[in-house]
Amino acid sequence: MPYFQERFGNPSSLHGEGDEATKILEDCRQTIAGFINAEAEEIIFTSGATEANNLALIGYATRNRDKGDHILISEVEHISIHNIAKYLEKNGFKVSRVPVDQYGKINMQKLASRLTPQTIVISIGYASNEIGTIQPIAEVGALAKEKGIAFHSDAVAAEGLVPLDVKRDRIDLLTLSSNDIYGPQGLGVLYVRKGMKLNPLIIGGGQERGLRSGTENMAGIVGMSKAVEIMRQEMTEEIKRLASYRDKLIKDILARIPKSHLNGHPTDRLANNAHIRFEAIEGESLILALRDEGVSAATGSACSSKTLEPSHTLISTGLLHEEAHGSLEFTFGRFNTEADVDRVIEVLPPIVERLRKLSPLYKAEESAR
Amino acid sequence: MKSTQYSEKVLDHFRNPRNVGTLEGANVAWGEVGNPVCGDLMKMFIKVEDEKIADIKFQTFGCGSAIATSSMITEMAKGKTLDEALKVNRQDVADALEGLPPIKMHCSNLAADALHEAIKNYRNQKKGKVPLPVVRGTKASAKEIVGEKKFLKGVYYTVDDPSLFKDKRVMVVDRGNKSLETALELTKHTGRVILVTPSKTVSADAELATKLRQSDVKIIYESEPLEIRGGDEVEKVLVHDLNEDEEYELFVDAVIILK
Repeated sequence: MPYFQERFGNPSSLHGEGDEATKILEDCRQTIAGFINAEAEEIIFTSGATEANNLALIGYATRNRDKGDHILISEVEHISIHNIAKYLEKNGFKVSRVPVDQYGKINMQKLASRLTPQTIVISIGYASNEIGTIQPIAEVGALAKEKGIAFHSDAVAAEGLVPLDVKRDRIDLLTLSSNDIYGPQGLGVLYVRKGMKLNPLIIGGGQERGLRSGTENMAGIVGMSKAVEIMRQEMTEEIKRLASYRDKLIKDILARIPKSHLNGHPTDRLANNAHIRFEAIEGESLILALRDEGVSAATGSACSSKTLEPSHTLISTGLLHEEAHGSLEFTFGRFNTEADVDRVIEVLPPIVERLRKLSPLYKAEESAR
Repeated sequence: MKSTQYSEKVLDHFRNPRNVGTLEGANVAWGEVGNPVCGDLMKMFIKVEDEKIADIKFQTFGCGSAIATSSMITEMAKGKTLDEALKVNRQDVADALEGLPPIKMHCSNLAADALHEAIKNYRNQKKGKVPLPVVRGTKASAKEIVGEKKFLKGVYYTVDDPSLFKDKRVMVVDRGNKSLETALELTKHTGRVILVTPSKTVSADAELATKLRQSDVKIIYESEPLEIRGGDEVEKVLVHDLNEDEEYELFVDAVIILK
């Protein structure tokens, strides 16, 4: 592929290699735009989804400060959105956080009640990267449009798992990452609807319509474009396959393990996500025990986080710290097979039983029902 | 270093924990420590003969290193005199395990504290000073909760139609038997019923208490609601954990305070 073994032209150069690079760059831009039903010129390449989120919120808020100073996010956003919102608060903006229900879904009424004449941008993640709950994005888009408020959505958790369409959902700014659809790491995209005005965060030679200066990461862009091509071919079948694994895993675990509960929405959830909590045991010890069996999973437990704080998403759904503690997240991907699901179902019940025997919180009699 | 990058010794004690269980009978005492930050809980049981630890068992709810440190200290303490066992500290346990990830040194290295607590309790028992369980506010108080009056929606003083609470996260404040029955009844309509009580146990007759324990009612003991928060509607409750003297927010949709 170009930029991996051959061709190293810079799109900004005027020589022949430069022209060729420009052609490749624009072809990739077109391919990626098609993935979300956008126009090529609405695609801005960044160093990753985090930078795209920064450009969307800080870029939009600072450029449109004269229109208002209020930003709306939800309680269950990705940590990058939460931290950007805190940064904007320190810099004079006001932020409201919309609460979610027990399934992690935002409440439209509570969202609407938090809008003020000063609200300039709403940022709601397409789906939770943790518990997999899909948000009513089209409803938020319609409301934002009606009120003349910009709408940003971080779609990293949903890309490849939900057909994305910025026109259908009336999204003004949308974040994508390359590595979440099996492309190379170090590349992200911000979709910027035509007519949206943003301040750049990185200033220089004016690449990417002046919104993101610096020589383009051509290898990353070519790689992401290829990843998008493959994803578009496989997505429909892949969603069905992953959803069947998800449903099997959830059903079997809840049936076989007493005092286990599903986190996140029972139906409006990403095809690849099963998030389950087990009473009276802690997630990190579950992960260690699963690792011995060759199974990788994640947890919302404080014990495995850098800050020793439990997952803010799980707490927002109404769980207590000790409950967030016992949560386990399984995600499936392209390289999983049904045998992997069977393996988890086989090894997990005895692990849970063993750890519960160690736990002072678990009373066998209470589960005997 | 990642928090889960453990030494082989830690992994060994995690995979094959020694001396798991509880002890009962004469010359037995136990100590319990919890970590208010993350909810780890450790119980250490000792049986003492001739001022020596003749037997020792533990139960732990926590991460890999919480389990490994508990297991390790049981091996270190067995056979030691009580005075010797009191000298075993957190660092000794970590060293015996060939080190712990730095972030885990304080949060999940509570085993020494639990052992010391057990020894202290044993000595108090011998002196005839059986420590009474600390009981704070066993009687459900009818104190007003900050903010309870200001909501248009979400605070209820009576429950006429429990089906109104379908799929809602409901907090029932313990105001005696009637509120316990209400909590039970609500589990037919929603999967999330939280009962907050200032006591260590629910003060109900045996049958009701058993029903409650076996139900899906999530009971938060030794806690009381301090403040109800939200806009027009209830969104969360500030809960005071009386045992740890800690405050935290719990997201709920409704609060029931029976009069």
